[in-house]
Amino acid sequence: MATETYAVDIDGVVKRFGSQSALDGVSLRIRRGEVYGLLGPNGAGKTTLIRSLVGLVAPEKGTVTVLGRHMPQLEVLAHVGYMTQQAALYPDLSAEENVHFFGAIYGRVDGVREALEFVDLWDRRKSVVSTLSGGMRTRCSLACALVHKPELLLLDEPTVGVDPQLRVQLWDRFRKMAAGGTSIVVSSHVMDEAERCDRLGLIRFGKLLAEETVAEIKAKAGVDRLEDAFLKLSEASPA
Amino acid sequence: MSASRVQAITQRLFHQFRRDRRTLALLFGAPLIILGLLGYLLRGGGDVPKMGVVNLDGGPLGSIVASTLENSKTVSASSMSQADAESRLRSGDIAGYVLLPSDFSVQAQQHRIIAPEVHLEGSQPGLSQSILQSVSQSFVALAGQAGGVQFTPRITFLYGGPSFDTLDYFGAAFIGLVVFFLVFVITAVAFLRERGQGTLERLMASPLRRAEIVLGYMLGFTVLALVQSAEVLAFSLVVLHVHNVGNVALIFLLEALMAIAAVNLGIFLSMFARTEFQAVQFIPLVIVPQVLLAGIIFPVSTEPGPLQVLSHVLPLTYAVEGLRNIMIKGADLGWSSLQLDVGVVLGFCALVILAGATTLRRRVA
Repeated sequence: MATETYAVDIDGVVKRFGSQSALDGVSLRIRRGEVYGLLGPNGAGKTTLIRSLVGLVAPEKGTVTVLGRHMPQLEVLAHVGYMTQQAALYPDLSAEENVHFFGAIYGRVDGVREALEFVDLWDRRKSVVSTLSGGMRTRCSLACALVHKPELLLLDEPTVGVDPQLRVQLWDRFRKMAAGGTSIVVSSHVMDEAERCDRLGLIRFGKLLAEETVAEIKAKAGVDRLEDAFLKLSEASPA
Repeated sequence: MSASRVQAITQRLFHQFRRDRRTLALLFGAPLIILGLLGYLLRGGGDVPKMGVVNLDGGPLGSIVASTLENSKTVSASSMSQADAESRLRSGDIAGYVLLPSDFSVQAQQHRIIAPEVHLEGSQPGLSQSILQSVSQSFVALAGQAGGVQFTPRITFLYGGPSFDTLDYFGAAFIGLVVFFLVFVITAVAFLRERGQGTLERLMASPLRRAEIVLGYMLGFTVLALVQSAEVLAFSLVVLHVHNVGNVALIFLLEALMAIAAVNLGIFLSMFARTEFQAVQFIPLVIVPQVLLAGIIFPVSTEPGPLQVLSHVLPLTYAVEGLRNIMIKGADLGWSSLQLDVGVVLGFCALVILAGATTLRRRVA
């Protein structure tokens, strides 16, 4: 699979929920080893886009190609890690049991320790999830998403409820993973997080407004802060 | 104590109920359905027990009794030969027959002894009671003619016996019902939790196949259900001494099949509920009508006609009948009636497994 240039290739994807348009003709490509940020307000379509990458959303129009395979496709999911917005864990299992379970689903229980250490939960591995703090649950959820060393990691607002110190630490590790060839898609509305991405996709009302590097976006909007640039670009385009 | 704060809570509840149409429908619809069903079941003019009359009496009294019985409204009696009566008793076509011996009139007139033979099928105490009652009533007319007679029927039971009581009858059915009911509720709630806490989404985004999820669940809960089945069975037989003449392994087999069906029914129906609260609402909709109609309390053969049709569609009817066939009648897999029962339960298992797996897929795409 490693021969494909693009980890993700989305072409003209349309998805509606009832009359509500969630994705309105989105096309984008993400290279291998790239950290791609999906930036946009709540309800913009970020989660729908990410879910379409794991076959949980079937597009009405357009195609989704992940690691060279047309979605939905079951085998390719063995190489994709998905961290949902809500920390999706079994509250009555320990942190280690949770990670072990997802490791077993992917046939990669060998990665349990590494994953728990990656999120600084190795010392708390015996703790039952319901006794962990919100930030720890988020980290545990992240460990579950990368226990099988995925080639493509999808993170839906991964650092919500994580303190700044750990956030910096996690991002260092994301960058390290990317350097090792892992492609990462991060959705966020935290701007200082967006600054750490290689490229950004600004998404609003299910449309991709702009897709550039952080520097390009700032230059285009003629402002210095990414936040301002985002607001400016959002206003400029007809909703 | 602040009235406005209390009111806020009360009002919020009403707002929530207004949004939850299903709960409202259940709250106001289910009691009518259940009571209506019960009313129809009890007053809908169901069939009376069927019995046979074998009149071998050479004298005049036998035919009086026979015609009294045939005109009775509490049983549906018809004359038949002894061989015919015996075979229909065994096939379950009649719940019993009364045999008036050849010296019936002589005995009554000369010795003032009325001694008919009453042969009862015996597996359903309610039906046996009705027949005994009707038979003794039919002799009241005779007592007037003969005057001061001694009524000593000789009663034999094909199954069960004089000590066979209501618990023996219900026990067989409840062994299956308890397992079916509890396993269904636990599976449905567990599966909904998986959905609610987001882990199902995660599983769906993994290379897991739907069938693997369903199968994994099935195995896990089936192990629990089997332990529970064994416990219920042991308690019923050892502590409660529920009447059993059948093969314990066969009872367990049928129980196990019901447990597997319940697991998959739980998975399947959990697709139609958003919350655990809504899953619990399936109890009055799915479980109660089955309990009323599966012949657990009221024999299917005495239900009003249309309900009998419904009963014969419900899989629980066959499971209950199967358990009774084994425990009360000592049926084994050579019996065609038990083959039918086990076959239907097996078929139902397959159906809900398939339904669970298919709905799971549809929900996701």
